[in-house]
Amino acid sequence: MNPDILSGFFQATMASTLGATAIGSLLGLIVGMIPGMTISTGIIIVLPLTFVLPPDISIALLLGLYVSGMTGGSFSAILLNIPGTPSASATAIDGHPLAGSGDAGRALGIAVSASFVGGLFSFLCLFFIAPQLADIALQFQAPDLFSLVLFGLTIICSFAARSLIKGLLSAVIGLMIVTIGQDPMMGTQRFTFGQLNLVEGIHFLTALIGLFAIPQLVDNFSDMVRKRGEVHPARQFGSVLPKLADLRRIRLPVFIGAPIGAFLGILPGAGGPIAAFISYDYARKANKNPETFGKGAPEGIAAPEAANNAVTGGALIPMMTLGIPGDPVTAILIGALLVHGLAPGPLLFIENGDFAYGVIFSFFWANIFNIIIAFLGLRLLVKVLATPRALLMPTIALLCVIGSYALRNNFFDVYVMFAFGLLGLAMRWLDMPVVPLLLALVLGRPLEEHLRVALAGSQGDPTVFFTHPYSVLFLGLAVLSVFWSFYSERRAKKAAAVPQQQTSP
Amino acid sequence: MRKITSLALGSVAAVVLIAGTARAEYPEKPIEFIIPFGAGSGADIEGRLVAKEMSKVLGQPVVPVNKPGGGGAITYTYVKNAAPDGYTIGWNSLSVLTTTNIGNVDFDYTAMDHIGQVEYQPMSFVVKADSKWKTFNDFAADCKANPNKFKIAFAGIGSGTHLAAIALTQASGCQAIMLPVKAADRNAKVLSGEADAASHIFTNPLKLVKAGKLRFLTLISSERAPAAPDVPTAKELGLNVELDLFRGLSVPKGTPDAIKSKLEDAMIKAANSDAFQARASKIGFTVKPMGIGEFDAKLKRNNEDVVRVMKAAGLYKSKMKK
Repeated sequence: MNPDILSGFFQATMASTLGATAIGSLLGLIVGMIPGMTISTGIIIVLPLTFVLPPDISIALLLGLYVSGMTGGSFSAILLNIPGTPSASATAIDGHPLAGSGDAGRALGIAVSASFVGGLFSFLCLFFIAPQLADIALQFQAPDLFSLVLFGLTIICSFAARSLIKGLLSAVIGLMIVTIGQDPMMGTQRFTFGQLNLVEGIHFLTALIGLFAIPQLVDNFSDMVRKRGEVHPARQFGSVLPKLADLRRIRLPVFIGAPIGAFLGILPGAGGPIAAFISYDYARKANKNPETFGKGAPEGIAAPEAANNAVTGGALIPMMTLGIPGDPVTAILIGALLVHGLAPGPLLFIENGDFAYGVIFSFFWANIFNIIIAFLGLRLLVKVLATPRALLMPTIALLCVIGSYALRNNFFDVYVMFAFGLLGLAMRWLDMPVVPLLLALVLGRPLEEHLRVALAGSQGDPTVFFTHPYSVLFLGLAVLSVFWSFYSERRAKKAAAVPQQQTSP
Repeated sequence: MRKITSLALGSVAAVVLIAGTARAEYPEKPIEFIIPFGAGSGADIEGRLVAKEMSKVLGQPVVPVNKPGGGGAITYTYVKNAAPDGYTIGWNSLSVLTTTNIGNVDFDYTAMDHIGQVEYQPMSFVVKADSKWKTFNDFAADCKANPNKFKIAFAGIGSGTHLAAIALTQASGCQAIMLPVKAADRNAKVLSGEADAASHIFTNPLKLVKAGKLRFLTLISSERAPAAPDVPTAKELGLNVELDLFRGLSVPKGTPDAIKSKLEDAMIKAANSDAFQARASKIGFTVKPMGIGEFDAKLKRNNEDVVRVMKAAGLYKSKMKK
């Protein structure tokens, strides 16, 4: 057996790493639960605090947050009919009616159990698929990598389906922003206006903090001014431990949801919300009494919950092996790894094999802690829903400033963060999705680098993109992905007549 | 009268206080230790270790602060403009010669005072382990016979690895296609066969060389590296090229000599500490502490080399005010 697997396991099972995973899970459940806080926002806020930690521990914490955030989102979906994260939107369809009929505990228990199975399934996928994929990816050359990144960029379409123009515009703004800084080939400074702080370009995480957190703060603030009151969840619920009969009922939907989630997680283009709606749709079709769906069917909670948690492990596969994010959260995780000097990509498994397997096992533990903390602490955790926002929001604002400063210990970045906050607000008012911009920020640099290295290598001959077999494969997949995302979006919309949200999971 | 007495007493007290501060031993407050590269990079981890060991010697915390950007330009500008009181020190590297001569800033390395060198590692030239080239001369001969056929990957225009690659190809008289690829992807490029060779800092491909996937052809250095004693230097192969990635300390110009010699002493003790030596043998760089005089001579020598190679390649864009 590969010795890295063993040392990775021990690394992930050390008391300090386990502790970090558990803290991450707890934070994830809380962050996921609070409407108006997405997992992305949670990770962005916690990330700067992890710079002082060793990479394995900080990644363990972030993975805990990622996994549990998916589960936490379902709590507010079930109790308040407000999905804590967009990925939990499908859960609300049956979760809230079931909770409303006085069985909130039962609904929560089903959600947590289905999440657990979905997460474990995707762990297995991650463990078995990722190292194999990394081996193949080692053969990729610059033309292949360019086409691969292009394929990764097609994820934009699934976030732009409501208005293609606005989505593409957002992506183009992102691509323009990444041209700031030194030219990757010649070292010439572009758009720096003699400003030394811009020579290395705009740090992706600085931009992210501004784009995601600031508009959310403003939104929450204006909500507070308008509504004044807080929403109070149904606090009466029975046992959360699911009954055997329920577990038997949700077997089929869980085994529909988990593979769909893992598969869509691997593919750049879908992510949590779409996986949840598609598996909800399939679970209804496979059910003997489809008319119970929408009125509190346990199967309708289980399928999307299994799917959105299975997305997590799936999305980690291309992130770790190719350096291509499967969803917005993994895009941020790439940034986190880079901050720690670890470049996700095929060589991660060769050069830092113990770390790579450490991440995989930390993901396993994150799923274990998720179910333990969720069952033990559910009663206490839902009290978070009553936290006054007047306390929560200023804390977040402060963390944004600290976070953007701490990245490079440079106050210039704080101004950059606020500038991106304004951009984020403007985009929100224009109803322009932010995720395409985020993806362009992550993928823009590699896109340009691989394109130019490929052309330098071929002495300017563009046919290399069509003569390398992998490149042709990825270009084909990119085309398919564009069509698939439109198709699945329409299908998901048909499956649930609830409004799709344009934010990240 | 009482007023005058109290005034006199007050001024005596003030004089005593001022004299007291002047006589107080440096350092009497924490020292800022500026690292020009991001958290988690090799430069960062090694710098933090040196800072930690130096604070043991100096008896005051030496606080590492990362100020990455512009190939070190942000840090060097910050250190250059700081007060010359010994409370701001910079963790320098070969970048102090490259980022200045390529014109990212309007000064050169002489705008700061330098304390010394802690460690260095050579630039290296690697190929795939199953490559047909067993020595650098094999590669050079093949490359000379087939101009513009082979591809050499390096970090980016004007970086140390670029200069090393240019110097090597110039000295051996061959023409190659140069591919700028960032450090994280460079080994993959050689492994996938897309680049025929790569110019690297020594420690980056070391793990893959030991794993039998890559091979060093030569080290662009004055002496062989202890971590790979079988690899000949370019000098041994008859090529007059030498380019080490060194790391050491810089302070603002005009820092008093007494403070500089104190820092020099602390730096050398930190370099020789067990913790730092352990890190060196784990990663593969060479600890070679060097004091002020020796390091100044080395900087001068290396700066001339860098300027010469950059001028030959048309990269020299120093914006220094003459």
